[in-house]
Amino acid sequence: MKGSLYTLIYAAVVGIVCAATLTFAANFCRPYREKNEAAEKQINILLALNVPFDVDATADELLQIFDANIKQVEQNGMAIYNYEVNGKLDSLAVEFIGPGRNATVKGFLALEPDRKTIKGITFYQQEETPGLGGEIITAEFRDRFKGKSIYDEKGEPGFVVKKNADKLKNGVNAISSATQTCDKLGIMLTETLKSLSQEQVDE
Amino acid sequence: MSKDAKSCGSCGTCGCGGKGLTTLKEGAWSQNPLAIQVLGICSALAVTSKLENSLVMGAALIFVCVGSNFFVSILRNNIPHRIRMIVEVAIIATFVILFDQILKAFYWDMSKQLGPYVALIITNCIVMGRAEAFALQNPPMLSIIDGFANGLGYAGILAAIAIFRELTGFGTIMGYEILAKDWYTPNQIMSSAPGAFFTLGIVIAIFNAIKGPDAMEGK
Repeated sequence: MKGSLYTLIYAAVVGIVCAATLTFAANFCRPYREKNEAAEKQINILLALNVPFDVDATADELLQIFDANIKQVEQNGMAIYNYEVNGKLDSLAVEFIGPGRNATVKGFLALEPDRKTIKGITFYQQEETPGLGGEIITAEFRDRFKGKSIYDEKGEPGFVVKKNADKLKNGVNAISSATQTCDKLGIMLTETLKSLSQEQVDE
Repeated sequence: MSKDAKSCGSCGTCGCGGKGLTTLKEGAWSQNPLAIQVLGICSALAVTSKLENSLVMGAALIFVCVGSNFFVSILRNNIPHRIRMIVEVAIIATFVILFDQILKAFYWDMSKQLGPYVALIITNCIVMGRAEAFALQNPPMLSIIDGFANGLGYAGILAAIAIFRELTGFGTIMGYEILAKDWYTPNQIMSSAPGAFFTLGIVIAIFNAIKGPDAMEGK
């Protein structure tokens, strides 16, 4: 029994020491990490909307640029980010979130003021396989979305990310060997676009 | 002590208790964890599509291996035998999460690229293997050398695979274009999983050809 007690105490001490170390590290890193995450989100809204900004800007400078250019409106619980130039709507962005192949994918889709044409797309959180599904963050892939419609030939809102889908009004070619990521991206975009066009009806 | 009497599984002829240089050479070269023992290949297959990712992954493994080997070695004489693996995993996990936190705080872009693979170092057989096979039987300084050597061996092979895969799969090295897109069509099989298997096999074959047959293999 003496051995068991020693084992128990030993396990408890190791557990407490490890937990304390990690708690300290997490607390120490938290402000940096949160700043990175917030800046990441803002950078992506700015990028999606094509707002000019300095890439090397600090997190605080970004916040200023962001506040000066972007107006956030809530519609039916969906945040819409309006970019106005001289009081005129230049473009708007909506966030899309959905399950990817490995983990949650989050990003922004920017639309022209007509709310029909895609201006740009960015991803600010994804854990898709590096080199495969992870390639969704490359400029080459994201450029495929520019100028595409968010309505299909029948006028239904949605988007397709599949092989040879660039022939469609509302589709782009998938990344080869990243079929699952691309399929799921198509699904999450379609869901977002459906609720976006739903809101237009409600207005 | 009975623990010391056990021959340490993976280093065979045994550099245990020997000189640091022997330990360094065994970990990084003659008992290379990836090329000779073929351990930890899961992450080696996953992160080697780009050289930059592989280097950070190698650095992470060196950090974790050195840290966990050091602490397991310090505690080796009083860890209750029955829970020694749990203690080892707790120590390893602590170091992995530390590294992950540091990446997220100060190297945000790299952390985004590597995604889940940093956290998966916890399950990397090399780290656990060195703690079990080496750090439990050897003094702290020698264990640090062993951790570093094995981390280095892993990082070296990873870099070799990544250079080959990035060059053939993307035409770039560290993101700089080497093979111009005008005449070179990136071979996409090299950037996807099968390419990793081919390259790993080729790299191991070349490594073994250079190293020559081991004394152990004659047995």
